[in-house]
Amino acid sequence: MEQIYGKVTPEIVDELKKIVGEKNTIIDDKTKLKEYGMDTLSLITGVVADPEVAVRPESTDQVSAIMRLATKYTIPVTARGAGTGLAGSAIPTSRGIVLSLEKMNRILEIDAVDRVAVVEAGVITKDLCRKVEEYGLMYAGYPMSTESSFIGGNVATNAGGAKVIKYGNTRKHILGLEVVLANGEILQLGGRFRKSTWGYDLMETIIGSEGTLAIVTKVIVNLIPGGGKTLDLIVPFPDTETAVQAVAKLIVEGNIFPVAVEFMDRMSLTFSAKHHEISLPFTERDDVGAFLIIQLHGKNQEELDETYEKAGELCLGNGALDVFAAESRQDSEKIWKVREEYSPGFRFLGKMVYANPGDLIVPFSKVPEMMNELKRVEKKYNTTIAAVGHIADGNLHTHFFKPDEVPPENWTEYAKKIYDDLTDCALKLGGVGSGEHGIGLLKKEIFLKIKSPAEIEVMRGIKKAFDPQGILNPGKII
Amino acid sequence: MKIVVLIKQVPATDKVKMDEESGTMIRDGVESEVNPLDLYAVEEAVRIKERIGNGVEIHVISMGPKKAEEALRSAIALGCDRAYLLSDRKFAGSDTWVTAYTLSAAIRKIVGDFDLILCGERATDGETGQVGPEVGAYLDLPILTYVSKIETLQDRKIIAQRAVEGGHEVVESPLPVLISVVKEINTPRMPNFSGKMKAKKAEIPVLTAEDIGADEARLGLKGSPTRVVKIFRPQVARKGTVVSCVGNLQGAVDGLVDFLEEKAMI
Amino acid sequence: MKERDYSQYKGVWVIGEVREGQIHAVSYELLAWGRGLADALAVDLAIVVLGKDIKDKVDELISRGADKVYVIDHPELEHFRVDPYSNILTALIEEYKPEVLIASATTMGRTLMPVLAVKLDAGLTADCTGLEIDPEERLLIQTRPAVGGNIMATIKTPVLRPQMATVRPKSKRPLPPDPGRKGEIILKEFGPEWLTSRVRRLDFIKEESEGAPIQDAECIVAFGKGLKDGRHVQLMQDLARIFEGSLGASRNATDLGWIPYSHQVGLSGKTVSPRLYFAFGISGAVQHLAGMSSAETIIAVNSDPEANIFNVADYGLVGDLFEVVPLLISRLKEKGKEA
Repeated sequence: MEQIYGKVTPEIVDELKKIVGEKNTIIDDKTKLKEYGMDTLSLITGVVADPEVAVRPESTDQVSAIMRLATKYTIPVTARGAGTGLAGSAIPTSRGIVLSLEKMNRILEIDAVDRVAVVEAGVITKDLCRKVEEYGLMYAGYPMSTESSFIGGNVATNAGGAKVIKYGNTRKHILGLEVVLANGEILQLGGRFRKSTWGYDLMETIIGSEGTLAIVTKVIVNLIPGGGKTLDLIVPFPDTETAVQAVAKLIVEGNIFPVAVEFMDRMSLTFSAKHHEISLPFTERDDVGAFLIIQLHGKNQEELDETYEKAGELCLGNGALDVFAAESRQDSEKIWKVREEYSPGFRFLGKMVYANPGDLIVPFSKVPEMMNELKRVEKKYNTTIAAVGHIADGNLHTHFFKPDEVPPENWTEYAKKIYDDLTDCALKLGGVGSGEHGIGLLKKEIFLKIKSPAEIEVMRGIKKAFDPQGILNPGKII
Repeated sequence: MKIVVLIKQVPATDKVKMDEESGTMIRDGVESEVNPLDLYAVEEAVRIKERIGNGVEIHVISMGPKKAEEALRSAIALGCDRAYLLSDRKFAGSDTWVTAYTLSAAIRKIVGDFDLILCGERATDGETGQVGPEVGAYLDLPILTYVSKIETLQDRKIIAQRAVEGGHEVVESPLPVLISVVKEINTPRMPNFSGKMKAKKAEIPVLTAEDIGADEARLGLKGSPTRVVKIFRPQVARKGTVVSCVGNLQGAVDGLVDFLEEKAMI
Repeated sequence: MKERDYSQYKGVWVIGEVREGQIHAVSYELLAWGRGLADALAVDLAIVVLGKDIKDKVDELISRGADKVYVIDHPELEHFRVDPYSNILTALIEEYKPEVLIASATTMGRTLMPVLAVKLDAGLTADCTGLEIDPEERLLIQTRPAVGGNIMATIKTPVLRPQMATVRPKSKRPLPPDPGRKGEIILKEFGPEWLTSRVRRLDFIKEESEGAPIQDAECIVAFGKGLKDGRHVQLMQDLARIFEGSLGASRNATDLGWIPYSHQVGLSGKTVSPRLYFAFGISGAVQHLAGMSSAETIIAVNSDPEANIFNVADYGLVGDLFEVVPLLISRLKEKGKEA
């Protein structure tokens, strides 16, 4: 889709100011504008695209007015959440307007009877989680960067996270959306119900569309009863294979479905622990190759104890070096901090890391083969690959480091080859190239290469139906 | 060597709910945990045992409802050898003074001779930090509070550092001694599987007022010199000016500068 | 409870502190607390100080509110040690029988007072933030936070005497000195058997810290999670420099590793009472407020108009701290040039 977009003229800026107010229109502050042109991918790769203007609407009506204006002048609009994305989905490559939802951050309603929460798109997901806890409820669509990511961004990328094995990804927890179309029309999709057969499901189409179909302004999320008890384990293994096998035993033999089963290889975990100055067991030992972080859940203490005993025995019987349990809330916080915020630890390796944390996904049964592929690729490119992932979902985040012989200026090209090689492997094993981060900029090429032309054609039709001028987050997905 | 560790089970949250009418804390449905600061005392005891090896026995004691047995099991999972729960309706409503009396009576009765009593700096619920030194006083022991490091422990003597205002005091004391520890002293471990299994199987005797031979007049609410007459939610409010910067950043900041000038802060 | 006659117990006592050979400021704070109580009871306020070479340094205690100053001056009392301090104080209290005994919740007060409570058979309340006298019963009404500052408890000691309490350091401003005030200095002597200690002090390792520790700072520029990233600490530092202040932080900010824990303000950190306290991007959890609400002037900047911090602020700005602080800095610098 070749597009000629309009420029953001001073007149258009004036009109934007009329809509959202002077304070919510960022035009002159270049530093600030730049911040609106980056996401977490930019922090690693430096890929930035300054928008011409950034606006921070405070209501759905303002979003609608902005879209009417953008349609009138054919200006690209890139919706933006917290900017924690890892695939560049929020980078405004066609410049134009960045529409940040940060000011729409109110939790509008928590309804314990219908078991829903109605929130604006800019609500920080963790705030929502904490708030509903007070009602004895739980929002189970818990992605990893919950300290900062917005619910709207979670919807746009259909975010996953550690608890997918038990609860499923974001999509599973969304009941309704309020969205603004490219032409400014406001649609209410879904609602406070848990089933419907009521025509094409536009809501489901919009979830995971990375801002290319519509702008999400409000979200109705499903809440489930909270409570029960959890226990976090950290389990060291001599090597990756043993760790992966043990997960299979837990699930198949033990019939245990933990809330989370996270894999971290030795390097990722020990570096992360070092970075956070957190002491975890077995990080100093040479005979450790990998760790599993497991969160068990029980309806009550007895059930949890029983699960723990079974899980502990299965791990130990299948090669675990030991099984450690978090004894306190502090222990749990430490374990999860090391898991969630692991990437800064890679600085200890002292090598350039490729920006794109791979987000490969394969059927769980193929994880051992995928792990072998990682080794093959490591050798082939003489690189080091660090792997961390939601292993029971077959979802692996891989990081690769620049071999000394590759000059820095060639590294991105070189790394891209590694990346493509790995993605090919995942696809051959029946997987996909992105489990949860989205396609964004990073994976577009390989996405288009792999999807069948017929499927792409239907997608293009959908895009055209929602956004005939192609002004919503141009250049992303298709 | 015999080490006694004193621990407490506390609510695993600081968001306690209150019954506003009766002015009492609602404890139903609130998760419990070992007082986080006590875990440092447990850890230090276990480290001493690992260092010295054979012949060190760690006895852990807690006073509380039946449920507090969970805290004692945690301590066993972490490496303590024996645990005792002091639980009796007669203990209910004890203030720190009575709690210390009860604990010291129990230590005398069930542990007898000991070399070291370790406890956390304070509990995260009551936050008084009084029980430790009071136990020391009841048992007429030398008392080392705020211990951040045990330098040596030999020849019936201990040399330790105390974290006090402006630095660390290095002190020496004969044994037996009572020590309260601060966070700085170590990093508590996580229990492993065999520890937790040992804890699961451990026999934890429940001791009553009679079992420890305590003077009943000095127990529980009745024996407590202090009385909580009211609990309430803190109300914090100053009559301040709150200005919105929305569309008025310059004005708001100028207002602040004027205010600071008025207050002679600049 | 044994029956004892407490009717002779009269007067308010506070336990002064000496550090590095000088009367420490908490002693004057205690006098400010004690003065109010003594006036309400219409009794004398006494302070007792133990130390080495201090008898010539106690005049200010009178000008700041004491009616009587008991001084025990001996080389063996140079540093606080439980045995001699508690033996001597027990003897003095049994001799003079004060009805109220207050100490500061310093490491000394928090160690000494529990021991005295056991030796004297008296009740003790820790870390009070409020002390009053019930005029009818002449009882000490002690108010203290518990459970992370989420609840407050009011406590009485109905029978036993003295009624003992510790108060947080910096929880009250000392009274201004009144050179005309009259008082009595009483030197007490104790023989060697009173001065022995089982615990020996071998050494003292001074803390090396940069700038004023936040407890002593006149101005604190504090920040919370709203600062978003550790690299923005520099911005806070820029403002702090203008006021020659120190940096403070909420627990969130220290947990995120933006600044060492020694800068943490709040119940699990330091209690501070500077003249000026800035709170940037701090929501104002009760735990934090417990550590700073006694500051003389509180300025809060938060993007959330509903933030709790505004309830304690003297001047609050609802806005983006990244907009407010740079502008504030430049305004202050302009002012500085004008002046």
